[in-house]
Amino acid sequence: MANGHPVPPVAAPADSHDMGADVEVALESLGQWQLAWRRFKRHRLAMAGLAIFLFMIVVAIVGPIAAPYNPLYIPNSPIPGGEPPSLSHLFGTDDVGRDVFTMVINGARISLAIGGFSMLIAGFVGVAVGAISGYAGGLVDNVLMRIVDVLFAIPFLFVILVAARFFGQGQVIPLILIFGLLSWPLIARLVRAQYLSLREADFVEAARAVGVGNMRITFRHILPNALGPVIVAMTLIMAGNIVLEAFVSFLNFGISPDQISWGNALSNAQPALSLGNWWWAFFPGMAIALTVIAINFVGDGLRDALDPRSHL
Amino acid sequence: MIQFIVRRTLQAIPVIFLISVVSFVLMQQAPGGPQAAFNQNPHISPEQVDAWLRRWCLERNPDLLGTVREYLGWLGAYNCTGGGFVSEHGLPNFLPAFLGGGSNGVVHGDFGFSIVTGRPVLDLILERLPATFILMGTAFVIWVTIAVVVGVLAAVKRYSFFDQAVTFIGYVLYSLPTFWLGLILIFIFGVELHLLPTQGIIAVRTSPAPFGTPEFWTAFAAKPLPLIQDIAGHLVLPVVTLVAVSIAADSRFVRSAMLDTLSQDYVRTARAKGLPPRSVIFKHAFRNALLPILTNVALEIAFLFSGAIVTETIFSWPGMGRLYFEGVSGRDYFLLMGILLIGSLLVVFFNIIADVLYAVADPRIRY
Repeated sequence: MANGHPVPPVAAPADSHDMGADVEVALESLGQWQLAWRRFKRHRLAMAGLAIFLFMIVVAIVGPIAAPYNPLYIPNSPIPGGEPPSLSHLFGTDDVGRDVFTMVINGARISLAIGGFSMLIAGFVGVAVGAISGYAGGLVDNVLMRIVDVLFAIPFLFVILVAARFFGQGQVIPLILIFGLLSWPLIARLVRAQYLSLREADFVEAARAVGVGNMRITFRHILPNALGPVIVAMTLIMAGNIVLEAFVSFLNFGISPDQISWGNALSNAQPALSLGNWWWAFFPGMAIALTVIAINFVGDGLRDALDPRSHL
Repeated sequence: MIQFIVRRTLQAIPVIFLISVVSFVLMQQAPGGPQAAFNQNPHISPEQVDAWLRRWCLERNPDLLGTVREYLGWLGAYNCTGGGFVSEHGLPNFLPAFLGGGSNGVVHGDFGFSIVTGRPVLDLILERLPATFILMGTAFVIWVTIAVVVGVLAAVKRYSFFDQAVTFIGYVLYSLPTFWLGLILIFIFGVELHLLPTQGIIAVRTSPAPFGTPEFWTAFAAKPLPLIQDIAGHLVLPVVTLVAVSIAADSRFVRSAMLDTLSQDYVRTARAKGLPPRSVIFKHAFRNALLPILTNVALEIAFLFSGAIVTETIFSWPGMGRLYFEGVSGRDYFLLMGILLIGSLLVVFFNIIADVLYAVADPRIRY
């Protein structure tokens, strides 16, 4: 979007139908993805975003081992109201004396896991449903799309409450499942729209003419051509679900207090700001904001790299 | 056109029906239930709890059929005071009252009572609506205006410094968690600088009555100016929060709609004819870009009704978002169902409005 390089003439995933045969060839030589990566590298903000995102993943994996304090350690005589940032406590401490820096590092694990795995679930379910719906059409399509309509409209707070009854409240894996199950309709709609146009394409007809089966056409021939917008949407879903986790924890429907996520750390800090103890809330919030910004920039770069015609 | 509207309305009915069924069943599956508050109270006997539940047409541990009965009672097809599916006139309960049907349930315009407060659901919603409209309306007008101006400018000066800056700032604002931004704003402008009020819609000490009550509106009608000033002061921070997080998506939308029309042949023709750039941009490109923008705005209006849960919670704003959150926390089935039903009706309604607007504004579209 934000870079004015000319559009390369090589077919991108979402390109016009008659280019379909070329895409097949390009896929086999992996040229399509190499070109996309070359375009992506030129997007400086996206590269910066990717760097930050990878850094956060490293933090999530090794951080808890290297963190200076035990995240749940509560000293016997904490300083009331917490300590402001200093050399021994980089991000200060909270009212019970926990080190905010350690909490931010430990929170990365749960927050990124929720964002990442719910994105993968949404991707798999959404692609499967969207592909079937778009390729099959007719009654199957109608039924699946009405389910999508309803899922779009169901308020997620209910779903989280109900899931809490079945899985126990505040656990990570149920939250991942719920977020994933709440996010797939978006992907399904996108994939379906792509399939509706792609299934009429010449290369699909050619494949059918030489006797390729429906399953193989759906997933082997059409899917690679429909993937571009899906990958972009998946980055948005990951960013959105990291914020959603924080939001849900903030409303006390999220991760239980004995585990640490960014949202949880932030929700504990709610009373702090009115006391003037800005550091409890500022740093966990910054961690969320920075990660989400980074992911959104990566998504933006991918949009350019995978669909050179897009204005968005 | 009329045929189109009728068809769309008929298509919406099964979707709304499904939404209400699924939400009702989900609520029934949620832990606790409305009577959970009494479990800890030794002074309330099980019989009293049962009588209380009966009053709301609810059952203690509903099985599948019980849930269906409860749902149909809410809908108005089942009369839990004795008749079952038959009204006191001996006819199906779901018929309109003047045709001999019953009087309970939403199909008869009865949204029931809030279980927690005991007041009619419709009264509660009507009481909260003004605050939500003040907040969401103000924020909406501001963010749409800024988004249109910024989006058009960014599209016209594509890839300029301005465009890149807008994109960058937009992404940053879009990525901020709403409640974090709100808390930081409260900290800076309320706690540190003491510039702006941070809680509620009016100053409690100087207000003649709580906001939304009839006494408040009488006092408001008698002497509106100081109250308007007070509300305006309380509006600043929540509106800034809402505008900041909402503006990015809309300005991106305007920008891409504008870029689409700017690359059209008729725009090139207009330029080639030597028309002044201003006229090309506003008369040729912008007027056509307005179509998708109009649709987008119409769709967004539907969601203004449900308010903003987070912003209202942080700023203690007495609006719909908080009403909904209170409903979820208190398992207030009928209140939630009422909000949900009105919300989804509005979404459907504005979807149809958007389609109609599209057809009115674009003579190429025929239904």
